[in-house]
Amino acid sequence: MTTITAATAAPAPPVFSRIWRIVRLITANPFTAIVTPWLILGTIFLLNWLIWLIIFANLGADQRSNAQEGIQWSGAAFYIFVYMLVLAVQAINLSFPLALGYGSTRREFTLGAMLTFVLLSVMYAVGMTIGAALEKATDGWGLGGTFFRTIYFGGDEVWYVQLWVYFCWFLFFFFTGTIFAAMYVRWKASGLIVAFAVLAFLVVGGGALLTFTETWHVLWGTIADLGVVGSVSWLLVPAVLSAGLGYLVLRRATPRG
Amino acid sequence: MSAVIEARSLSKYYGGERGGRVHAVEDVSFSLEENRIHGLLGRNGAGKTTLMQLVTGQEFATRGEIRVFGASPVENARVLSQLCFIKESQRYPDDFRVKHVLGTAPHFFANWDPAFAAELIERFRVPVNRRMKKLSRGQLSAVGVIVGLASRAPLTFFDEPYLGLDAVARQLFYDTLLADFAENPRTIVLSTHLIDEVSNLLEHVIVIDEGRIIIDADAEELRGSAVDIVGPRGAVDAFVEGREVLHRTGLGGLASATIARLDETERIAAREAGLELAPVSLQQLVVRTTIGDTPDLSKGDNA
Repeated sequence: MTTITAATAAPAPPVFSRIWRIVRLITANPFTAIVTPWLILGTIFLLNWLIWLIIFANLGADQRSNAQEGIQWSGAAFYIFVYMLVLAVQAINLSFPLALGYGSTRREFTLGAMLTFVLLSVMYAVGMTIGAALEKATDGWGLGGTFFRTIYFGGDEVWYVQLWVYFCWFLFFFFTGTIFAAMYVRWKASGLIVAFAVLAFLVVGGGALLTFTETWHVLWGTIADLGVVGSVSWLLVPAVLSAGLGYLVLRRATPRG
Repeated sequence: MSAVIEARSLSKYYGGERGGRVHAVEDVSFSLEENRIHGLLGRNGAGKTTLMQLVTGQEFATRGEIRVFGASPVENARVLSQLCFIKESQRYPDDFRVKHVLGTAPHFFANWDPAFAAELIERFRVPVNRRMKKLSRGQLSAVGVIVGLASRAPLTFFDEPYLGLDAVARQLFYDTLLADFAENPRTIVLSTHLIDEVSNLLEHVIVIDEGRIIIDADAEELRGSAVDIVGPRGAVDAFVEGREVLHRTGLGGLASATIARLDETERIAAREAGLELAPVSLQQLVVRTTIGDTPDLSKGDNA
């Protein structure tokens, strides 16, 4: 042993393949990210359809259109968005330590996770839009029911607008999950508490501000003016903020046993 | 010789600047050469895992410098794509089965050998369809061992890889590691406290205690570096007078002391003084060095 020189490393694989392998890591078990959500959504849809059947069987023709209007506000499909929030939390919290053990950088992991969420948002938005098209073509699944074409999802809009609305909703939920997961991975329970406290202050503080300045009507007016498409597009602002903040938080996170 | 890892005055503290601060790794300097099997030995909580996390860029150093393949490992894709570090407490995604671990690992390791992985699964009898959460401790360790071996990463860490493995599986791991290392030389860091079992594998040993490196030597050199002298208390005391005693213990009129290597004339002198000489195993050496020269019977230290 004479002078010690530094051993050299082979070049790293290209950056896209380093990010893409994170997508494959997070979706390694396709049941979690793809199969199970559709199965549950299908089950919920079937149950809803049966409930419509029961309702309409017991209503006269005059009450029928009234009930159909009410169903347009159905929140039955909302489950899938909450599922995606949880999926984002799980994906980041549990794939992060494994990815680092496999020799990924935090930057690659975070970008890979975000790419996964964008791709899943596209896939689910396309699926839901197809559901909406079928719903329109079958005149509400033969019963005049509403599952995919509810008010929050753009109602009667053309397919590409509906696709956009769904896409915005999915991104919003995925990236809300991202920031909470990032806070947890970095600072564990205290990170989560801070995140929830900040959120609570924003909501309560915003409410107080609107109340004291008596400007609630301005908010509702703005939402009404923007319409569903405009309002939902605004969800991209918190989504992008969460993504950026989540990236910064994860850049200095450490996997702990 | 080329150094794969070089640390200079590396420290990692947890907690704030004042009170409650924990020194996990303190002012550590060492270098590990390429294509050797290094042992990172120490008691639980000595700082082994923190040190490995610093080397793999998973932890951020408080002070000092760490270079892996000549560069800082932190967020360095070129460096990190050379390593594999499956922690003893490695967490896996909830929905992962063994096959998902083995299915995703090849994307991360350029040298991954699928045939070798399949052979190891067979030999370690790992149930590939079982959920990671349902694995026994030994099976979990086996998955880590399989990934570590089949990755053939130029710098591979094994963190207490034998936990929960039965004697057969442990021997299988040691044999496979040695055989595969001979065919595919790479740098291996094996963290363990079962020192005797691995002492024949190790070429270089670092012993860490309370965050500090207390031994950094070639294993061969270390094996002959200390000797036990046993005999009547008076004779032992007289012989060790003026020498550094690593460890001392007594029973009635008999005493035993662990001291540094003796040369031939010293050995003859010791025998003439009615003392017996006994070799000290690597494990005993580490145990004695980390306990210090005052035996503490409450720690079960009576040897």
